[in-house]
Amino acid sequence: MGFLDSVKKVFGLGREELPYRKDWTVEEQEYPRPPPAAPPPPMQAAPRITSRRVIEAPVLGNGATEPESAGNGAVKIKAQPSRSGLECTFLVNRPIFAGHSWAFSGAEAASGWPLAEELFALGDEIVSLVFHDTTLTVKSRNKRPDDWLALARRVGDVIRRKIESGGPLVSERALAAMPSEEEIKKQIQEVIEKEINPGVASHEGRVTLLGVKGNTVSIHMGGGCQGCSSAAYTLKMGIEGSFRRAVPFLGLVLDETDHAAGVNPYFR
Amino acid sequence: MPRLNRFTIRIHTGEKGLSGPVQCKFNGHVLPLENVSGGTGSDEVYEGSFSPLSFIHGFTLVGPPAGEWNIRRVDLSYDAEGMGPYEISLGEVTLDETTELNLWKEKPLPLFDV
Repeated sequence: MGFLDSVKKVFGLGREELPYRKDWTVEEQEYPRPPPAAPPPPMQAAPRITSRRVIEAPVLGNGATEPESAGNGAVKIKAQPSRSGLECTFLVNRPIFAGHSWAFSGAEAASGWPLAEELFALGDEIVSLVFHDTTLTVKSRNKRPDDWLALARRVGDVIRRKIESGGPLVSERALAAMPSEEEIKKQIQEVIEKEINPGVASHEGRVTLLGVKGNTVSIHMGGGCQGCSSAAYTLKMGIEGSFRRAVPFLGLVLDETDHAAGVNPYFR
Repeated sequence: MPRLNRFTIRIHTGEKGLSGPVQCKFNGHVLPLENVSGGTGSDEVYEGSFSPLSFIHGFTLVGPPAGEWNIRRVDLSYDAEGMGPYEISLGEVTLDETTELNLWKEKPLPLFDV
């Protein structure tokens, strides 16, 4: 085989064509045909997804101190550190700030409030305070739940001494200037309609005023706000700030939304 | 939310009992309770347990498909990771076809006199 033949063999050139045979026929086979498909069943309505309302039953025997009318019996104080340990709530059987609430962000904010001034004087451990009716919440730094015993006893001593002395616990000037519930309700409603709801509407959210007790405001965060992971941030950094600018003597702003309720909170 | 290793539920039925099966929903799924004893008729006590071994997002007792179920008391024993074993008791409640009872409660916070 010469060189040229080798090249032709490699590249398939010069291949002999097979003779065409006229007697070749293609046999057609009969394949069994599938039976005609049954007509689709009539469309049925999809099962309706019904969401049940999740309700709560009272927890029995939590051991909290029941408030008593002022002036009867000994002052009883129970301390309950939070799960994180960052704050401790003191449950007192006497009113600390009857029917009202007040938050102190530091010692400077406590000027003119006798009980708060003494508590901040306990040292740098106390970062902030909240008075709410018969409870007092102390926020500290670098604490775990087990670390509270010593500081809680000192806080308890101050509360007991101030109550037993019979002197004022809160600022009389603040009490005198405190607006009525009706005034607070009107101002908060105005802020919600003009400032808050137009802002959260872009996320299909809406804020509803549930009520005002003393100077404590309860709201509900609905629509896109319910179940949103940023709801707490929106409340603290946006809603609460707007409320406080409008109502200088505002106490706590409580979000009473059940953010876990419903079939699919936030996305709905 | 912690990982729930095991729970035991004891339901004390009041005046109106439940005729159907007890349905405990864990993260949206109905659990096949184990070691079941007792009943849910009037004044009866039902007990069951399960080991979900999963992180808890929702744990409820489903109300009856029709009518009312009056529950006098629910005793729950939990063993959740990072919390150890603890017990919770819930007070009287009535469930119907539109409601379910939240059964999940974290370990109660310590409370001491000062």
